[in-house]
This record gives sequence, structure tokens and C-alpha cells, in this order.
Amino acid sequence: MIDIRGVSKSYAKGKVKAVDDLTLTVRPGEIFGFLGPNGAGKTTTIKLIVGLLRPDAGTITVAGWDNQREALKAKAVTTYVPDTPEIYERLTGLEYLNFIGDVYGVPKAARLERIRKWLDVFELSPAVSSPIQSYSHGMKQKIVLIAALLPTPQVMVLDEPMVGLDARAAHHMKEMMREHCDRGGTLFFSTHIMEVAERLCDRIGIIHKGRLIAGGTMAELRAAASTQAVDAAGTSLESIFLELTDK
Amino acid sequence: MKRLAVLVRTALRVNFCLSVLRPRELLKKRKDFWMVPLIGLGLLGLIPVLIYFLKGLRWIFNLLAPLGQQAAVLTFGLLAGQFLILVFGFYYVLSAFYFSRDLPLLVSLPVTPTQVLLSKFTVILVNEWVTAAPLVLPVLIQYGLLARSGPRYWIEAVFIYLLLPVIPLAVVALLAVGLMRVVNVGRKKDFLIVAGSLALLAAAMGGQFWLSRSMNGSFDAQAVIRVFAAPDGLVQKIGARFPPSVWATRALAFGFRGEGPAGLLLYLSLSLGLFAAILAAGKRFFYRGLIGLSERIGPRKELSRGDLERGVDGGLRPARAVFRRELRIMNRTPIFLLNGVLSALLLPIVFILMGKFDTGTGSDSARLLGGLISSKPMVAVFASALFLTMCASLNGTASSAFSREGAQFWMSKVIPVAPRIQVRGKFLHALAIAALGLAAAAAAGGFVFAIRPLYLAAALALAVPATFLLTAVGMMIDLARPLLVWTNPQKAIKQNFNVLLALFADAGILFGGYRLVKLLAGTGLRTKAVILCVGAVFGILAAVSYVLLGAYAERRYRAIES
Ligand SMILES: Nc1ncnc2c1ncn2[C@@H]1O[C@H](COP(=O)(O)OP(=O)(O)OP(=O)(O)O)[C@@H](O)[C@H]1O
Ligand SMILES: [Mg+2]
Repeated sequence: MIDIRGVSKSYAKGKVKAVDDLTLTVRPGEIFGFLGPNGAGKTTTIKLIVGLLRPDAGTITVAGWDNQREALKAKAVTTYVPDTPEIYERLTGLEYLNFIGDVYGVPKAARLERIRKWLDVFELSPAVSSPIQSYSHGMKQKIVLIAALLPTPQVMVLDEPMVGLDARAAHHMKEMMREHCDRGGTLFFSTHIMEVAERLCDRIGIIHKGRLIAGGTMAELRAAASTQAVDAAGTSLESIFLELTDK
Repeated sequence: MKRLAVLVRTALRVNFCLSVLRPRELLKKRKDFWMVPLIGLGLLGLIPVLIYFLKGLRWIFNLLAPLGQQAAVLTFGLLAGQFLILVFGFYYVLSAFYFSRDLPLLVSLPVTPTQVLLSKFTVILVNEWVTAAPLVLPVLIQYGLLARSGPRYWIEAVFIYLLLPVIPLAVVALLAVGLMRVVNVGRKKDFLIVAGSLALLAAAMGGQFWLSRSMNGSFDAQAVIRVFAAPDGLVQKIGARFPPSVWATRALAFGFRGEGPAGLLLYLSLSLGLFAAILAAGKRFFYRGLIGLSERIGPRKELSRGDLERGVDGGLRPARAVFRRELRIMNRTPIFLLNGVLSALLLPIVFILMGKFDTGTGSDSARLLGGLISSKPMVAVFASALFLTMCASLNGTASSAFSREGAQFWMSKVIPVAPRIQVRGKFLHALAIAALGLAAAAAAGGFVFAIRPLYLAAALALAVPATFLLTAVGMMIDLARPLLVWTNPQKAIKQNFNVLLALFADAGILFGGYRLVKLLAGTGLRTKAVILCVGAVFGILAAVSYVLLGAYAERRYRAIES
């Protein structure tokens, strides 16, 4: 569903190599967790997938569409939640959602039904007619999330979506992710929370200094790490992560 | 003192985006070279204006010199300059004290409020000096040259220029403080700035009426003789309602003779006194203003099911959705509103006021001017078309269309709407505001200058394609290097270099239009034919520029990373 082939990206005119010859495939219906230390290149990879950045080399396809050459078609099936909720502060939550509905072409009936559902789930109804600038960080995070759910996309790409959410919202968030994939959707997200990745993800990729150093199901990761790890069966993702990124 | 210097330097740097701009590095980068011809083109358009201005001043000077009234040129220049400062000062004061996000930071630093205030005032003063320069400096310089003034004149002129903003600033500061007391700033900051601007506009209109009343009516032959008989009769007449400009004129024109020293003393002491007073008042109201910086919004009301049903709407086409978003964001961000919508309306009004100042005899002279022009259809139509186009296009809406998105530009990149379509929405929005300016300017042309409806209609037919063209060019300029990194919305529009660049380009294009008119008129074509030709040229250029804008957007949206 998401196919990243030999993608490199550097900043500051080549001085900082943020992503280095990355190849990675996310299958349809899969929750893919993307892990890595701070500055490893997760956000850069995600921005490359949704087309905010242009790769220096390599290609990315989303749902079979090349995200540079057939950008609009790729965008039509993807939604994205950035790591910081930078959204139109002067619009109300509802106006923002309507804007998203308009540009993704969500018909009115479906729009109303989904907005109502997700506002209830994330307890955002009381705030939805106030300007977004009056929202707390977590509330902004929630409204961006609802906006990303509104078009019922095939592919969702989320950058550290749990940050700033309260426990209840984080719980609903995880349920939402599961639900999305049960419907056949694909989900790619980055996180620093090992427990979430371990319990939620079908497959996991670990990126370190711009390179993918490990990828696969939990079992495959354990196998890869078990040469050094003492107790293979019980090895947690945390210890695998610490071991692999300890350089 | 050292701390103050650092503060002032940083404030100026922030104000003029010095660290972002770095002209030398800009030119080092090859891809920004295209700006050089653009600036050149702009200067080409502006220099003739300056030359005409200087010529006009000389003409008036030579007209008045035999009557011994030439000092009135100075009075006019100083008065007009101070009026301009008054109009812009309000924005400068509000943006320095209520809309700058650095205040909470500055207050937490180990500097005294007076130091912070002084640094802010320096920024305002520098802004005012820059604002008034194109109007006042030519007057001061031309007068000095024509009167063959000695070094005393030049030294005094510098001091008088430097102190020029103080008196109008005191008026504006009073207005700002007064408004703050009436309005609860904390909650209604947005309201404050809009209401304040409107109040200022009303005050300016009222003041204009008041000024012109003193000049009108008494213009029978005897009164004219009386005015011209006194050594500085005309000076007094013009400056009757605003004595500081008379004092400054006397100081400059008479030097150490006659009423010169008294004028200088009065001007200096009033300015310095007011400066001290502003500082003292500012210190008292400083922290009160700070409370307004942390915005709060009233209690939220629960949304009923019906509310949600009404609030959710169905299928707007993407271009219209973008249009509506632009409209809402602009109208709800005071800085954008002022620089876009209000400045489109402000321009016709300022032009009218200036037109009146020019002749100094109130609206009758404007009608006279209009009548004079109307006797030459060609001049009437093209002058009106120029006026309309300028009022429609000289606001920063088009040339900040992309910069205004700032950190939210990522959304424009991820939504599945072709850049061409998104740009259509933005273009429509800029046009909507231009239409406001057109309407206001047409009203001014019809009612104040009494331009004949037929000529006005022809002018409108020319101004519409010209506005299309300038809008597309302005958007392309902003698209070439949008300023997306800002926290203070001022940066995106008011202090955006692209807006200035677009003004240059507009001046160049309009100058090109002027040359075209002259060229065609020279061939002996009939007036109607010239108008048709120029209209056709602008129409074609407008269509081409719109198509180019769409194509350029497709390229740039892909290239701009965020
Ligand atoms: N705009 C930029 N300009 C220059 N360098 C950048 C920029 N954005 C990111 N980088 C660099 O690219 C590298 C990867 O950054 P990236 O944001 O992708 O990391 P990350 O894995 O998302 O980190 P975190 O866990 O902290 O979010 C880092 O070295 C960072 O310094
Ligand atoms: Mg990141």
C-alpha cells in the first residue's frame, strides 16, 4: 500500500542526511509502527510519504500511485496528522472540518454522521463551534485527528499521534486505529511508546540515523535480536530497540 | 545604556526582517536574480513620479516667490507629512504594543519598562521616518535648493524632520490609550484595532472638514489680497489649524531673523515635551496593555444536535472552499484585514484628502480639477483608470496570498486539490477585495472629482483587466518565495518583502501602460481607439498572466517544502 524504494533526503543542501536509501513496504490492512531515536528521520520519512518533502532519490508509491507524478491521486486516498497541530487558528473547529470535507469531497450526510460520531468519541462537541485558537494542545490534536478520519481514507499517516492526548483519548485513538485497519485501511505511524507499538502493530520498522536497521513482525524482530539477547521469547520491544540503536 | 542599545538593535532587526532578508546573500543566490530587473522596473516607474513631484514643487515655489509666499511650500510639506504619520501611526503604535509577541519575553528580561518602551518607540519612529520620507524629504530638499539656503537650514531641517513624527504620535497614542480604556482589550483585541481604525478614519474626515472650512468661503478677492499681503500670510492660512507646522516653517524659512527663533523654540519644546509625556504615560499604561496579550475567549456553549446539523454543510467545490477559507482567515485576523480590506478602502479616502490638500481650498477645487480633466476625455479616462487600478491593487492581498498561510501551508500541500484550483480560490479572494477598492475609488471619482459617468465607465473597463494583471503578478511574486515562517501575522503582510516587490512591479507595469498611452496618442489615433487598444492589451496580458499563474502554481507547490 505504501512502497518506499531507495529514498534519500538531506537537509541544508546535503549537509544533514536525514533519510538514507530507505526501502520499506507497508501492506494493505496493516498497522505499521515506525520507531527510532530522536532525530532518526521518522518525521522526514512521513513528510516524504505525504508529499510535503521531495525525495532527493528514490520513489514512493501510495495505493499504487507515484506520489510525485500522480500526486493528486495519491493524496486523495491519504490523510495525515502532523506531529504539531498547526491548523487554521481563526476558523472554528466545525468550519475547519467543513473545509476538509469540501476539499476531499465528503457528501453532506456522511460528513454529518462521521463528525457527530468522532466528536462524541473524543468529547470535543462543546468546543467545536469555538475558534481553534482557544483550544488546548490536546484538543487541537483531536480536531486534526477527526479531520483525518473524515474522508475515511485508505491510508492514514500519523506522526506521534499519542503525544498530548489524555488517557481516555489515547485509548479511543488505539481503538480507532484498529477499526480503521479492520475496514481494510492501512495505517503508518511513528511513536516513542514501545508498549503501544508492541501491542498494536502488525509490523514494526526501526530507523536509526536515516537507515532502516530492522523491520518485521515482533517475532521477526526478536529473532533478529536474539543472537545477543538472553531470553529470546520474553524479549520486550524496548530491549530490542535499546540494543539495536545503541551505536 | 548598553542594554538599551541591544534592545533597540534587536527590535529594529526584527521589525525589518534584517536577519531573514540579508540583501547581499540574496543576490549571491543565483535563483533570486530575477528580482533585480523587477526592482529596476519598479524604480523606472517611481522615478518619473518623483521627478514630477519635484518639478511641481519648483513650479509652485516660483509662482509664490514673487509674492514672498514661498515658505508655504514648506508648510504644505510638513503638514501633509504629519497627516500621513497620523494615519499610519495608529497601526504602528498598536502593532508595537499590542500585537508584538515579544513583549511577554521582554518583560521577563532584566530590563526596565522604560528601556523596553524606548526601544519600541525607536522602532515606531524609524517606521514613521521611512513612511514620511517620500513626501517630506523632496519638499525640504527642493526648498533648500531653490531658496539657496545655508548650512543652518540644512541642520535645522534634519532636526525638524527627526521630530516630525512626535506630535502626531502623541495624538495617536492618546487615541490608543483612550480606546483601551473603553474596550476590554483582553477579550476584544481584534475589535479594538478595527474600531480604532474606523474612529481614526472618521476623525480624519472630520478634521479635514474642519480644516477646509477655515479655508473655504473666504476666498473673495479682498481676502486673497489680505492673505498675500502679510509676509507669511499663506503659511498661516494653510497651517491655521495646526500651528506646529507654522512654527517649523518659520524656523526653517526665517532662520535667526524675525520669527524664526521663536518658531524653532516652540516647535522643539512642544515636540520634546510631548515625547516625555508619551513616555511617562506609556510607562503607566504599559503593564495594563500586557494583560491584553493573553487572549481569552468567553464560556463555550453546548452544541445541540440541530446546531451541528445546521453547521455541517455539503459539497462546496474546492475552489470555493479555498475562497471561503481565505475570506474567513483574512477577515478574522485584524492585521490582514487592515492591510487588505481596509487599505483598499483607505486609499481612495487618503487620495481624496491629499487632492484637497494640494489645492488647499476644499472640495470645490477637487471638482474644479475634475472639471478641468473632463474637458480632455483622454486624460479623464486614463487618469481615472490609473486611480481606480491603484486603489484596487495597492493592498497586500495578492502579494501575500501564500505567505499568509505560514505554518499552515502543509495543509495546502496534502489536500487532494490541484494547485491550479487552489490558486483560483485565492485569486478570487484577492479580486473580491480589489472590487471593494474599485467601487470606493469609482465613488470618489464620481462624487468628489465629478468625473462624468461615461468616462468613469470607460476607466472601469480599463481598470478591471489591469487589476486582473496586477493581481496575478502579485500572486506570482509571492509564490516565487513565500514567507512561511512567522509567528506574528505582521510578518506575512506588512513586513513582507514580497508586498514591496509587488508594489515595485505594479509601478513598473503602470508606467509601461502610461508609455503605451503616450505612444498611441502620438500616432493621432482617436481617443476611443486608444482606449480600445490599451484595454485590449491589458485584457490579453491579464489572460496570459492568469494562465501563467496556474502553471507556475503547479510547479511551485511541488517545490516548496514545508
Ligand atoms: N528543516 C530541517 N532543516 C535541517 N535539518 C532538519 C530539518 N528537519 C529535520 N532535520 C534533521 O533531520 C534529521 C531527522 O529529523 P526528523 O525530524 O526526521 O527526526 P525524527 O525521527 O522525527 O525525530 P523525533 O523523534 O525527535 O521527532 C535530524 O538530524 C534533524 O536535525
Ligand atoms: Mg519527529
